[in-house]
Amino acid sequence: MTSFRKRTVQKPIRGTRTSPHTAQVITSSGNPYLDVVIGGGLPMGSICLIEEDRFMTHAKVLAKYFLAEGVLSKQEIFLGSLDDLPAEMLRCLPKPLTELETEVEQQEEQQAQGAGGTENGLRIAWRYNDLPLVNSEHATAKIGHHFNLMEQMDSMMLYYANTTMWDDNYKGILELFKSSSPTPSTLEQQPVEDAPPIPGEENTPLEKTQPQEENSANNNNNNNSSSVTSSTKTGSQESQSQVFHNARYGNLLNDIQHLLRDESFVAGTKKNLCRVCLTSLGSPLWYDEHFGEDLIKFLTLLMASVRNCNSVCLITMPMHLIAKYDASLVPKIRQLVDYAIELESFAGSERETHPAFKEYSGLLHLHKMSALNTLAVHMPDTTDLAFKLRRKKFVIEKFHLPPELQESTAKPDSCISGVLSNSNASASLDF
Amino acid sequence: MATSVLLACGLNEQKLPGFVHISEESNVDGSFLISCILGQRLRISNAGTLLVCLQHHYQHYFNAGMRLGYNTNIFQGKTLGVIDVLSDMAGEGLASKWLRQSEGQTLTDQLVEDIRAQVESNYASRNSYTVLIDNLSILFNLGASKLQVQQFCQDLAALAKERDNLTVITKLSNSDIYQLTDNNVAKLGQVRIQVLRLKSGVFREVDGKLLIERVLDEGNYACEETRKEVLYKVNDRNVKVFTPGEIGVKV
Repeated sequence: MTSFRKRTVQKPIRGTRTSPHTAQVITSSGNPYLDVVIGGGLPMGSICLIEEDRFMTHAKVLAKYFLAEGVLSKQEIFLGSLDDLPAEMLRCLPKPLTELETEVEQQEEQQAQGAGGTENGLRIAWRYNDLPLVNSEHATAKIGHHFNLMEQMDSMMLYYANTTMWDDNYKGILELFKSSSPTPSTLEQQPVEDAPPIPGEENTPLEKTQPQEENSANNNNNNNSSSVTSSTKTGSQESQSQVFHNARYGNLLNDIQHLLRDESFVAGTKKNLCRVCLTSLGSPLWYDEHFGEDLIKFLTLLMASVRNCNSVCLITMPMHLIAKYDASLVPKIRQLVDYAIELESFAGSERETHPAFKEYSGLLHLHKMSALNTLAVHMPDTTDLAFKLRRKKFVIEKFHLPPELQESTAKPDSCISGVLSNSNASASLDF
Repeated sequence: MATSVLLACGLNEQKLPGFVHISEESNVDGSFLISCILGQRLRISNAGTLLVCLQHHYQHYFNAGMRLGYNTNIFQGKTLGVIDVLSDMAGEGLASKWLRQSEGQTLTDQLVEDIRAQVESNYASRNSYTVLIDNLSILFNLGASKLQVQQFCQDLAALAKERDNLTVITKLSNSDIYQLTDNNVAKLGQVRIQVLRLKSGVFREVDGKLLIERVLDEGNYACEETRKEVLYKVNDRNVKVFTPGEIGVKV
């Protein structure tokens, strides 16, 4: 008997790779710039929280990137929202760029940067010419795709996507639910009639997706006896009312858990990955008397489910509204996610017209990056980050102030001071 | 690997104090301490350990342990017992026993019962036994009241007093929010470790600060205690500790 063992290399899940730094399986967030910031991509089993900007424009863009990446990587997608129409959101996913288009775009960028460099060639501190440009946060990623925000994804791509949507379909049956009558709690698909059709197309891709979902649901049901399924459903409804005061949380969690229990997402088996995307969770539509209690409990149970299988989750939340509701909820929520990223948009603030910020759409604050399935967490080169929403893409860069070319005796503006540092200026150094 | 941080906390000995509490400030990750302590306990021969997973799954501790140079899978079922509440909840969904109050038993009652059962079955055959709970704030999230969590910790402290060589180590996140519970729980033990963020901001070479308070002698009228402050940096495969002033901004 020899100690020789044939090395069998398992095929990785589509759209994932193993991080050389942490040895974790990571997947792209959809935005290559965000991937660079968080260390290559989202680790499997992680939850990324995007704290929405006031007008919810930028957070939605990141959510669309996340979903579009899932469609391209042929991963399972769960999209839940009360504020948005999930079907409409899926229909507006950005169009992926081909490899040729990506290369052309990158070359154009390099040329633009090169041209800028020769025009503004440094004559005094010329050695800095050798260093990479300040805003060259972008790096090549082996996973992930590039997208064009100006154009929408081809309907045929969405046709083959495995999507599950959740919205306020339960509005009508909430009363029934309260009276504990048995109601079906299978994965709810967005009714096609609700979604506005694409002009010029009779059969929308989502209409075609529905039978697929039904088939897969039927297949799952076929494995189990129908009587058992119905009895467990009734039991789960009872337990929902015990666990949550607001039945919507129970319904949403039940649907997510139902999907994640599929054998293709069992941890350890490298079959497929599920992307769970919840937009505007905790918005005023979720409010009730026990809002905080239910939300925290929901996130705890979601964390348990997502970490237990091959899945990643992206949540967008209006944290500025939640902070007004109850300020103590903010750190509690951040504790339950692995990445907490705040998008602070300049829209509507005095910074919008300020010359120092004219290049950017807002600031990106990294509130939390936790070590999941590892000891140390990846830290980006800098935490002073800003984002800009260009016509075709969402760009995240190192934040830098423009050079001060004119001498002035005026003191720096209050809005600039404190932006570059996370610290309290009055606090003494710890070391 | 993790010897320096355990040495700084006074947790590198074979015999540990009866009750140790770790307070974790908001936006600070102190779960590396649990991994360090777990590794140290597993390396001692015939020392039993019970890990109660509330914040992370068992798989997280396994992976973090591999980074620190130990394999928990080797010990699991022998000297290491695991109560993985999160996995149970993920597997059973809303019907999980941790979410139901069956027969009037609360979540904390059920957890104490399970811990007691594990201790009863393993303690006799081990030289020492350690119960690691990560972390108490999840109990709040799952609906436990302040009173229930306090009672839970008191039950565990009583368990530690009943038996020699039994140590209970608890961790509480967001200690600045649950300040009252945090202080009350810390009073139950002799050692309190506070994981604090740097007030001066983010620094590449230091992740945070550990404030270690240890009660040496609790007399009738006076209490003698020591306070030690160290800075820490969690690296990929080890945790480094610095004394304040040792490391500074390089110009």
